[in-house]
Amino acid sequence: MGFGRYLTYRLVNAAIVLFFVVLLTSVLFVKLYDVQMVNVINSQVQMEWMHYQKTHPGSGVNGTEWMARRTEALYHKYGLDRPYWERVWILTKNTLKFDFGNMQIQIFGTYSAAKAIWMALPKTILLFTTATMVTILLGILLGVKSAQNPGSLLDRTISVLAMLTTSLPMWWLGMLFILIFVVELGWLPVNLYATVAVNSWGDLLLKMTLPLLTIVTVSFGGWAWIIRNIMIGTLQEDYILVARAKGVPERKVIYGHALRASAPPIVTMVIFALLGSMSGAIITEVVFNWPGMGRLYWTAITQNAVNLVVGLTYIFTLLYLLSMILADLMYAWLDPRVKVGASTIV
Amino acid sequence: MRWVDLKDSLKSFWSSYRRQKAGMLGLILLLLLIFVAIAAPWLTSPNVPKVWQVGNPLAPRNAPPTWINAFSHYKQSPHEVISLSNYFVGENKSMGYTIYKFKIQYPFKYDYPPKDIVFTGLNSTAQNPTEAPTMSMIIERPHEPGVKTEEMRIFSDVQIPAGAVIQVASLPAAKASVLVWLAENGVYKLNIPPGVPPDMISYLIMQNQTLFGYMSSMDIMWVIFQRIVDEKGHLYPLHDVLFHQTPRALEGTYTLYVTIKAPSNVKVDYSNAKLIMVGRTYGFMGTDQMGRDIWADLVWGVRVSLYIGLAVAITSVLVGVLYGVTSAYLGGWADEALQRFNEFMASMPIFPILILLGMYFGGHITINLLIGLLVLFGWMGTAKVARSMALQIKEQTYIEAAKALGASTWRVVFRHIVPQLLPYAFASIAISVPGAILSEAGLSFLGLGDPTAVTWGQMLNAAQQNNATLNGYWWQVLPPGLAIALVGFVFVLIGVSLDTVLNPKLKRS
Repeated sequence: MGFGRYLTYRLVNAAIVLFFVVLLTSVLFVKLYDVQMVNVINSQVQMEWMHYQKTHPGSGVNGTEWMARRTEALYHKYGLDRPYWERVWILTKNTLKFDFGNMQIQIFGTYSAAKAIWMALPKTILLFTTATMVTILLGILLGVKSAQNPGSLLDRTISVLAMLTTSLPMWWLGMLFILIFVVELGWLPVNLYATVAVNSWGDLLLKMTLPLLTIVTVSFGGWAWIIRNIMIGTLQEDYILVARAKGVPERKVIYGHALRASAPPIVTMVIFALLGSMSGAIITEVVFNWPGMGRLYWTAITQNAVNLVVGLTYIFTLLYLLSMILADLMYAWLDPRVKVGASTIV
Repeated sequence: MRWVDLKDSLKSFWSSYRRQKAGMLGLILLLLLIFVAIAAPWLTSPNVPKVWQVGNPLAPRNAPPTWINAFSHYKQSPHEVISLSNYFVGENKSMGYTIYKFKIQYPFKYDYPPKDIVFTGLNSTAQNPTEAPTMSMIIERPHEPGVKTEEMRIFSDVQIPAGAVIQVASLPAAKASVLVWLAENGVYKLNIPPGVPPDMISYLIMQNQTLFGYMSSMDIMWVIFQRIVDEKGHLYPLHDVLFHQTPRALEGTYTLYVTIKAPSNVKVDYSNAKLIMVGRTYGFMGTDQMGRDIWADLVWGVRVSLYIGLAVAITSVLVGVLYGVTSAYLGGWADEALQRFNEFMASMPIFPILILLGMYFGGHITINLLIGLLVLFGWMGTAKVARSMALQIKEQTYIEAAKALGASTWRVVFRHIVPQLLPYAFASIAISVPGAILSEAGLSFLGLGDPTAVTWGQMLNAAQQNNATLNGYWWQVLPPGLAIALVGFVFVLIGVSLDTVLNPKLKRS
């Protein structure tokens, strides 16, 4: 299988997964949708009838009949009279086209589900790219250091830290940090984390400190450990011995030769680790009232905003699949020997 | 592989596993956790799940643990349940009534009084309300110079129908009595015509606009448990006494005289009757916003967490191993198809889908449904490894020999391939337990879990709803998270040690 064919295969696979997830979402949610829309239509018809009675006093129109006609018209308008599977198909198509419809209530200051998501997405990306970069830096530094001296104090600390943090709920650590840094020490103002809304970019950056600290604290140990394990293997290779023998400075041996050679598995492992931390990240945003996608999820669940949940699931799936493809591509790109889906090995 | 071989390999496995310090620590902790899970009803109380749903109205809300008194300048009174039957001092009969007397010593050595004094649990054979027993309470305060009467009538002849609860802090009669007591001691002047019965005095107080206003806003527990005279022997002004502006708590032994009066033909059962000093601190770990004991919930949480973790891990690893072995054994296009399906499932984002399903099931995923879903999305990794291991085993000569001897597919798979994968299966069971527990905790935290189950995720959900972090209720936030971390850590320890024993390559170089 050539690189192009492999890429096509992965893309098709991802598209199929995406389609099925959206289809599943639609199958489940058309029913919930119905219940919501029927309520909305009923109350709307009631209001209209009251208005009609006020503006047309003594017209002698039969109220039940009038309302039934009006309800039917609205059912038709919103497509509630169509067969179930047809509507599932329409919802699937609309979702795939990023058309998530309007919500019954205002969330993040808008009725449009798509708009709310587009508003939240950059905040999530801001937080998580920053966190990821810090984590990668720390992870590489510490991982390489402990790979150089296996069994040293640093190495043992990192192993224990990695064990401890993998079983720690990231969001709980966030709660703990709020207790420590906001409530006990008072280093950050309480109202920064009490509400979602942020006044300025400065406040947003200030607000980002704690979630950033949380994500980095939970992740860097595990990443350093992964990098250490891969690096230990690489450092035993013959070419490292050769490089050292011919007098290449140790710094260059480590970062130029060994790290470069270990890059492909590291990158894929790190991307998968990142995807694995997604659930924790969603909830971490809730804990910190961070105006991102995770917090939006929480609002959608508590407010029962069905189409927002559909849209968010779609976007999350999309991002998830894109990252997996990216992991594959990075692997192929970084490893000159393998041009095909070698990431399936890891 | 015969039974003897299995026994031998288990033996040799155990002898190398017991040399793993971390693994043994994990194993001991796991046994401890299993013990706690089984013994939870005896360690705490069997009605914890019921209390979880309805809350405990008799316990203080958001009370910190009692031991914080050791670290604080102010001692806050702890929660105490006094069983009345231990303080029975006698009964006498007069005029067709039986009077039961109780005398309780309450040593008070705190800076903050109890939040309330609650009486509950009195049963009687009374058939109609007029026969119901009545109760009176008098508190004798410790001696305070400058105070005329130490005896403080709290309430008299309050009727107690079956299942009644008397809360002194919100009882108007008690507030009126305490106001009378303050007048008797000269804190303020109340014109009482001589010979007026006590009931009428309360009535007089309620007629007085100012006093009636005080009654609705005063904190009666402070009045009972504080000084009303300052260091120089002057009485504090009424406003200060009622709203504890300056006075300090009066330490010493308070004697509570409780009398229960009932018609002689009515039998009174006071064996379950309790006097509860509703504390400002509670037990070992405090309470949450519904008065639930956090320690009890934490202990019960071990049950559900271990159940979820083990059920998910064992089932999904079993499914994965079977899937992988089947795939490897079948080979050809079936293998290809099964692998593609595996990849398809593996690229599903689990958590968003779980959230979605949670919403679909009306906002709550029951424990068993959650286990099913986590298994559905949790077997793929194991299946992949099991397949590649099975592919190697499949090429061994003894498999070929077994086949040549006419062994059936089932026999080859279950006698020769699966047993070889068991060590790997155990390691991956241990490693995948924390993930399952974390998933449950996360879903419950978002409010999509099973609200009837006492889990650590539900406890943290309650904490979040209570805004526990920003309110500084650390005792509500810390324990559940630490417990999750501990259980996760235990299984990681075991898993990593198993891995080290089973894959010698990974041993520290």
